[in-house]
Amino acid sequence: MLELKHIEESPNHILEVQGEIDASNSVQLDEAMQEVIRTGTKNILVDCSGLEYISSAGLGVFMSYLEDFKEQGISFKIYGLSEKVFEVFKILGLDQLIPIFTDKDAALAS
Amino acid sequence: MFKALKVNSGRLSVLLAILVWLALLFVDLVRVFGMVNELESGIREEFTWVLEILFFISVYSFYNYSINKGNQVNFLGLTWRAASTGIFASGFALLVSLFYTSLGDGKLANEPFLKNFFYHVNFALTSIFLISSTLLWKNLILYQKTKRVVKQWQAFEFMLLISMLFIFFNQNTLDYSFLFGMVLLIGFGIVLSVNLKWIPYLTFKEKWKSLLFLAIIIIACSYLFLQLLGYSDRSEYMVNLTDNLFLVALFSFIFTYALFAFLVTLFNLPTSSVFEQKLTEALSFQRLSQSIQPDENEEKVLDILMDSCMSASFSDGAWLELNGKILESGSNIEPRFIDKETKEEIAKLIGQNKASREFPEDEILHEIEPIPIRLEHPKFESALLVPLVLNKTVIGRMILLKEVKDGFNKEMISIITTFVRQASISVENHRLLNQAIRNERYQEELKIAQRVQKALLPDNLDHNEHFEICAFSNTADEVGGDYYDTFQLDENRFVLIIGDVSGKGTSAAFHMSQMKGIFQSLIQLDLSPSEFMVKANAALSKCLERNHFITASIFILDTSKKSVCHARAGHVPTLFFDHKTSQSEYLGIEGLGLGILRNKQYSNHVEEKTFHYSDGDLLVLFTDGIVEAKNDKSQQFGYERIRNLLEVYNALSPEEIQEKIIQSLHGFVGGDGLIDDDYSMMVVKFKE
Repeated sequence: MLELKHIEESPNHILEVQGEIDASNSVQLDEAMQEVIRTGTKNILVDCSGLEYISSAGLGVFMSYLEDFKEQGISFKIYGLSEKVFEVFKILGLDQLIPIFTDKDAALAS
Repeated sequence: MFKALKVNSGRLSVLLAILVWLALLFVDLVRVFGMVNELESGIREEFTWVLEILFFISVYSFYNYSINKGNQVNFLGLTWRAASTGIFASGFALLVSLFYTSLGDGKLANEPFLKNFFYHVNFALTSIFLISSTLLWKNLILYQKTKRVVKQWQAFEFMLLISMLFIFFNQNTLDYSFLFGMVLLIGFGIVLSVNLKWIPYLTFKEKWKSLLFLAIIIIACSYLFLQLLGYSDRSEYMVNLTDNLFLVALFSFIFTYALFAFLVTLFNLPTSSVFEQKLTEALSFQRLSQSIQPDENEEKVLDILMDSCMSASFSDGAWLELNGKILESGSNIEPRFIDKETKEEIAKLIGQNKASREFPEDEILHEIEPIPIRLEHPKFESALLVPLVLNKTVIGRMILLKEVKDGFNKEMISIITTFVRQASISVENHRLLNQAIRNERYQEELKIAQRVQKALLPDNLDHNEHFEICAFSNTADEVGGDYYDTFQLDENRFVLIIGDVSGKGTSAAFHMSQMKGIFQSLIQLDLSPSEFMVKANAALSKCLERNHFITASIFILDTSKKSVCHARAGHVPTLFFDHKTSQSEYLGIEGLGLGILRNKQYSNHVEEKTFHYSDGDLLVLFTDGIVEAKNDKSQQFGYERIRNLLEVYNALSPEEIQEKIIQSLHGFVGGDGLIDDDYSMMVVKFKE
């Protein structure tokens, strides 16, 4: 089960992720990411407070955009990760590449 | 052995019949000789009767044998056999009587020896005709036998046997007992004669032939019977052979059955085409359902369908229209009995017809019936539009044409509908079958891939006497993305690696094999763990798909220094058990997964650490499939469980520890629960 919601709070675009991301639905996440990118926004936030589980395939989606974001000067932030999910990011080392915040306020404040 | 006996019984009965007949002739001629010379021959009548009965029985057994030999019942063949015997017997009798007529009143005409000789020949031929026909009728009566009919026939045969012996009882006189027996046998013969189920199976042409044969039999039968009546009350024949209850009963039976069969066949003639039509329909149906083999194409079904529908409706012309590319192959099915011009004319007329506009296109939800329409055309006056439906999609239509107005009745339309349905089932089955074959091929390919991938994981793990090692891997699908390997650098130094490709299945399997290639080539360079990761990252950056990455942990063991140097690239932490303190902990080391940062910056994100071990210490390497395995409450197996298990079972051998962990994992997931990811582990135990 994966629910994705695209919220626009100018100038930020927030992608709200709820449920579990695995190999079977990582394509959905990829499509949602592309949709957000197509708006041309320079500020992308991903709200993962509803994310219960993410598999390597899901991490692969976030990972695949990092270089583009860097090139195009897009700020990409993730917030609201549960401890368990954050652990997954951390083990892979993604926490070194993606700015991760505890909540939305912290993400916006940075 | 049994067969040989059977052949002999056939020949034996012929031989016996001939011998008996000769004896019969001889005995009678002796009697005639006695009469002429006014001598008493002293041969009793009973002697002749016994020979006569023997003759009947041997002829009966011969025909019983020879008719049953050909198992296949050929109705026309049987009737012809009876008719031909009839022609022969009555022809001979006719010739004899003509011979005597031509002689007039000459001396030869009254020659008793010659007369007796001809009498015997006539008797024999008549008997043969009657007995053979009876047995032929038996075959016809017992076609589609029921228990009741078989019982009746057996009773009839028994009564016939009694009638043979009747002659001893009534001394060859016509009395009431004879009449009683006769009436009884005739009545029984009539009862049996209603069994005529073979007649509908004759075709129209065969019916005409069988009428002819039956007529011949009736005439021969009547002629021979009249002849027989003529023999009675003639004194020149010493012993009357023909006033026999057995023969009279057979006469009446053969005559009645032939007459019944003749009449029934005659009245069956007008409806015989209907029966034939039904048979053809059944055959068409069978052909449609068996028409395609896996390697043949679907056109053949449509071809058979068109022919079947045409013959079912007596159409005078037909053609087929298919909607574009829906069928696998294009339509090469020839129109039937209609040229291109006429076809176009009629297609135009059909287009103008109101009813034809209701013809469905593409998707349909409910069953559709063929649409009959009238045509204003000089040649064809009615047409039937038959929709061809496959998987609820109209794939085209068949147009049947007739030269008469309103030529398609309800029965025809219903049988055509059935044909179309059967054809579409055939095509659907054909497609399913092809698909199943294709799937099977894919399965085979996957099995090969599985075998190849198994070979990528080492069978023998490099080690020396200072440590024990074992490893295990399981895939969620046929192939997976987990990888482990070992390499011996020199006498004391060994490399262990464990890796996990993001995602699972085929794509992961390909990347896993790349990882194996990279490991096996880079490790030869004797790189340090962090150098290895940097170089592996550079190599993988060129070949991994954009959203794929690989995590790995690499360990270089030095058994002389008792040290382990290691690096981690995003892989799940490795568990280390310290024998001295009986504590286990996960090795804390930073490191980014391979293929995530595809530039030189990667070297800033990988660490390298060295530690020393002592005897009894353990290393447990695994992949995230174990940690993330979930039970039905959506709880993960987690790191703590593995740690606790190791603290309990650390005294066991690596194989046993591995087994305990996997058992515990399966127990956690639950009996039927499947672990939806690849999972692997490697256990190393250091010793003296």
